[in-house]
Amino acid sequence: MIGFVGFSLRRAWQGFWRNAVMSLAATATMILMLLLLSGFWILQTGLNAGLEFVEQKVEVVADIKPSASLNQIRALQAEVQAMREVAAVTYVDPDTALQRFRDQLKAQGRTDITKYLDKNPLNASLEVKLRDPRVFGQVVELLRANTTVVSGVKEVQKLVEQVLTVTGILRTGGAIVLGLVGLTVLFIVINTIRLAVVARAEEIEIMRLVGASDAFIRWPFIFEGAMVGLLGASITLGLVALAGPPLSRFMFDFFRVLPLQFGSLAGQLGALVFGVGVGLGVLGSWVSVRSYLIR
Amino acid sequence: MIALPDRPAAPSLRQRLFGRTPARVPTDRSVVVLRDVTKRYPNGKIALHEVDLVVPEGDFVFLVGPSGAGKSTLIKLLIRDELPTWGEVYVDGQNLARLSRRQVPRVRRKIGIVFQDFKLLPSKSVFENVAFALEVTGVPRRRIRPAVEQVLSLVGLTEQAGQLPSQLSGGEQQRTAIARALVHDPRLIIADEPTGNLDPLISWEILQLLLRINELGVTVVMATHNAEVVTALRRRVVALDEGRIIRDEVGGAYHRED
Repeated sequence: MIGFVGFSLRRAWQGFWRNAVMSLAATATMILMLLLLSGFWILQTGLNAGLEFVEQKVEVVADIKPSASLNQIRALQAEVQAMREVAAVTYVDPDTALQRFRDQLKAQGRTDITKYLDKNPLNASLEVKLRDPRVFGQVVELLRANTTVVSGVKEVQKLVEQVLTVTGILRTGGAIVLGLVGLTVLFIVINTIRLAVVARAEEIEIMRLVGASDAFIRWPFIFEGAMVGLLGASITLGLVALAGPPLSRFMFDFFRVLPLQFGSLAGQLGALVFGVGVGLGVLGSWVSVRSYLIR
Repeated sequence: MIALPDRPAAPSLRQRLFGRTPARVPTDRSVVVLRDVTKRYPNGKIALHEVDLVVPEGDFVFLVGPSGAGKSTLIKLLIRDELPTWGEVYVDGQNLARLSRRQVPRVRRKIGIVFQDFKLLPSKSVFENVAFALEVTGVPRRRIRPAVEQVLSLVGLTEQAGQLPSQLSGGEQQRTAIARALVHDPRLIIADEPTGNLDPLISWEILQLLLRINELGVTVVMATHNAEVVTALRRRVVALDEGRIIRDEVGGAYHRED
């Protein structure tokens, strides 16, 4: 068994270098395809992060009656916070609300009109962030029920539906594009490896004629396919690592406040690239050699 | 050793084959037996038609006939590259149609095959080409070198062991292929037009080598168009035409003489 594995690895190594042109062509194709795949995967991850970010913007806001005491408000806040579908509840007092309004005006470059006010006209509010923007019904109900504290809850249903429709379409579209790219990569890589195997059809024929068993013919090619995958994946990740920092800066600029860091993706991307590279190398060799073995 | 499921057909077959000039007493050890073999390809062409053939151990058989007569098909059946449509093919007592896929390589190791176009791997040296046949069948490395050196000395290529096929003459390339065919210590050598690409003098060298191998006890089946060689050597000649055996005589010539 050890002899067999040793033999197969040795033959794979020889096969790779003695057919260097075909092997390197296959590796180059592998690199291009893996780059394509990683590019789309990063885009898809960025898109998803962006969509999640947008969805989190959907929140339930309850206006607080000026007559409500701070204790009553705190009690309600605790009650809402305890609900399973709630991620966070923020109490915004009238001063904070005014400050926010001022900041907003300033950011838009408009004159601060609040200085003409003799007193703060804004009410306090509770801002409820949800774990899942789809589940707002119970939160709204609970807030509305508490009429001593809450003067009104903004109707969010329509907004939620619109946002979710848009994000849903984008998410599905992204997944479809990634799936198509994945299929393209699959077929191109398998065909390239098939070419490399076909170029050595005579070698396989001789092996069969001298009485090599299927395993002895198949496994060297499979190890060779895995080698192409490993080499391709390593070079691809190297290139992505080089391009990573400037790319993630660009992405950050592009998507603005996107909470996406390249470093956090590295692990997943590495697993994806190595998995796909080695997997396709092995699969490609398997199906290509198979057609010569079955008689 | 042949283990036919039912024996009655065998004696009459032998009588028919060896009735004319029994130069050799047929033994029970037949290396090749074809019984009533017909091969029809999927396109409808019938390449072999009800062929019976017995090759005893140690025999040297010339397979002759025009192109398309069925020689290549017969060889493909012997190495189980094809299966017969009807009838049975036995090599070394084993019914090739009954072999599982795992057993096919084992039977092929009992057969050494030599082709007109040599089929050597161009990137491997003479030694590596011969050793290749052992490596891919799982022979331990320590046993490969002595075995390869032995067959290379038998075919007279010890000096050229390190050279690539492209550095060799046609005759030397064919001797490399013969060494590769021999390295498994086969029961049977099948040579498909082994002298087809070689000039007459070199062809004779190859023939001498095959005869010497035959003297060592290896059965040889050689398909050829080389009339001069066949007629001069007076060995057993099996002539095929349009898929049928039209002549099978021991000590025959390339063409019919009566």
